[in-house]
Amino acid sequence: MADLEIRNLHVRIEEREILRGVDLSIDRGEVHALMGPNGSGKSTLANTLLGHPGYEVTEGAIIFKGEDITEAEPHERAKAGLFLAFQYPVSIPGVSVANFLRMAINAKREDPIQVKEFRNELQHAIELLDVDRSFTSRHLNEGFSGGEKKRAEILQMAMLKPDVAILDETDSGLDIDALRTVAEGVDKLHSEQGLGALIITHYQRILHYIKPQFVHIMLDGRIVLEGGVELVERLEREGYDEIRREFGAEPAAAGSQ
Amino acid sequence: MAGEESAEPGRTGEESPARTGEESAEPARAVKPGTGGVAVKAGRHREATLYHALHGAGAGDGRSLAQLREAALAAYESLELPVWRRSGFWTTSFESLDLDALEVRHHSPGPEAIPAVVTETLPERERAGRIVQVDGSVVAVELSPGLAERGVILCSLQDAAREHPELFAQWYSRRLVYDRNKLEAANAAFWTGGAFLHVPAGLAVAEPFEIVYAIAEAGTAQYGRTLIVGERASDFRVHEYDLAGDVEGQALSANAFELYLQDGARCRLAQVQDFSGGSGNASAEVFDASTRFVQVGRDAYCHWLPALLGGHLVRQHLELAVSEPGGDMAFRGIFFAEAQEVLDVFAVDLHETGPSGGDVHWRGAATGQSRASFEGLIQIDPGAQQTHTYLQIHSLMLSPKARIDAIPSVLVSADDVSASHGGTVGELDEDLIFYMQSRGLDRASAVRVIVEGFFEPLVSQLQDEPLEEVVRGKLAAKLAAARGDIEAYATSR
Repeated sequence: MADLEIRNLHVRIEEREILRGVDLSIDRGEVHALMGPNGSGKSTLANTLLGHPGYEVTEGAIIFKGEDITEAEPHERAKAGLFLAFQYPVSIPGVSVANFLRMAINAKREDPIQVKEFRNELQHAIELLDVDRSFTSRHLNEGFSGGEKKRAEILQMAMLKPDVAILDETDSGLDIDALRTVAEGVDKLHSEQGLGALIITHYQRILHYIKPQFVHIMLDGRIVLEGGVELVERLEREGYDEIRREFGAEPAAAGSQ
Repeated sequence: MAGEESAEPGRTGEESPARTGEESAEPARAVKPGTGGVAVKAGRHREATLYHALHGAGAGDGRSLAQLREAALAAYESLELPVWRRSGFWTTSFESLDLDALEVRHHSPGPEAIPAVVTETLPERERAGRIVQVDGSVVAVELSPGLAERGVILCSLQDAAREHPELFAQWYSRRLVYDRNKLEAANAAFWTGGAFLHVPAGLAVAEPFEIVYAIAEAGTAQYGRTLIVGERASDFRVHEYDLAGDVEGQALSANAFELYLQDGARCRLAQVQDFSGGSGNASAEVFDASTRFVQVGRDAYCHWLPALLGGHLVRQHLELAVSEPGGDMAFRGIFFAEAQEVLDVFAVDLHETGPSGGDVHWRGAATGQSRASFEGLIQIDPGAQQTHTYLQIHSLMLSPKARIDAIPSVLVSADDVSASHGGTVGELDEDLIFYMQSRGLDRASAVRVIVEGFFEPLVSQLQDEPLEEVVRGKLAAKLAAARGDIEAYATSR
């Protein structure tokens, strides 16, 4: 059994069904890309995997390391080793990046992390993400630029060392340099820590830096096409319209999920 | 925070009230009705429209303390228990207080008279001095010997009246009044013990003077009275604690406080008020009706931060006045209401002359079925040109049944000034909670982080680590006691 198994997942927000039977398996050490047009349900899947209370699972299951976590609280999923890099990270007033990281790390442990160990790990993550030391004493995401927010997400991922991470449009809003830094960071965590990753993206450009082994195309709440990296090239050539024609899916629902 | 009703400065530049009553929220000019026999219909006004700056009833008018007490007694007897109404949606009534059943209790001085709540709350630390009043009696006075040699006076106000008659006559009740309501009159007529601090010219004292008022048992009426004078270019800190033990039944704290800062004096004044008698003790019914006045002189500065953390029914009139050119002040405040508590604050940022500066910033939260009403007033008197002041109020609702009303008012009678206000009304932000939960924090921890972060900008401005820890600890304890409410809040949404 794979580390993360998504089985026939149906999800509703209020009265609207967004996911209509998603199946997907991810193992540690694997990099998957989930691609699809706006409104196809990619972010809904990401939020549902971490248990956002606004998303209702009506059918199917999420199995993580053999445990059914479909109904688990978000913090229990995090402790089990799941991580979500948010598309729109919120700011936490009055809490510094370093203090928040310490709290999050300690939430997973019996004994609080030693000051020295924490400092060493933070230093390592700072170098990996190429951020300034002063970054960690700023209040988390408060007044951060788009690029800083995304780096802060990956910095948290590096410190929390999840087994499987979902990166929800981490590439959006990044200039090319920031994109390269973030992508190299993810790549390094993948090779150093054996991170399994589900990279959700609308565009192909992040996949020039992180090579996925598996590519899934989502349309209208279902995964309609799966394959290797050649799918990315096909998308680049043909666009989503061609795939939509081929798989007979309905036109994209209005609005982004 | 979610649910912003109006703008933070610099965000949109828009100014609007957090909540409006019947009146226009636009900064008003020369509005001072209620004078000249204009009747104000009850329940149709803000307090600002009835407000008169405290004008004094003591110092300099030739009357002795005995005569002032007598006049206050006459006012006490003719007045009813106070009821405050605000904008038709808020009433604070002390009519449920059985004042006749309360008495001023006295204790012999000594450490055994100090109740546990005092020793448990106050931090272990270096201090310049400390005075402790329990119920009606001052039971302990300590002053660092070095400071006594340099002319600092710290004693009970009763002793000051006897031993320092000239200073007492010069300053006592210089701005406080006794004829506005029954409880202010009661204080002026019946006060016992009290605290007097006089810091001589040019003296800087790094460690704080601590002034403690404690209610040890139910059935007590405490009429505490504090008078502080900072002479020219003095620089000092005052930490006041208003505390109650685990009382069962009614008690009253009706305190009066006045602080006068002379030319160039600087004071950091903080107040930790908590009459909850241990969080969640529903039978503790401490009523608190206090009046506090701070006057900032020429080129003087005051940083004042009251932390109002509980009581059955709390009404505080807090007034910070810049009365000489060049005076500057920062008026910060924290409030936290829990369970069935009712809190009513009227905070005035008064500019009697210019140029002057003001910066008012309050933050409050409410849990349980508590209710809090905060009215903040900026008043700029005629001639107080080149005054620049800003008032902001932020509130955070932590329970579906809690309520906070925040009302900013601006009364401006000068034309070369800037005065504005802003604020936010927030609820718990579920996206923020989800974000933290996704990092492994459970819901209760996430809420604690939000609330701590909400208050931290002010707590850190105490600039005194031991005191900051007292306030943080109290906020955390209140939050822990409200855990059930906060869980219920999530499922109600």
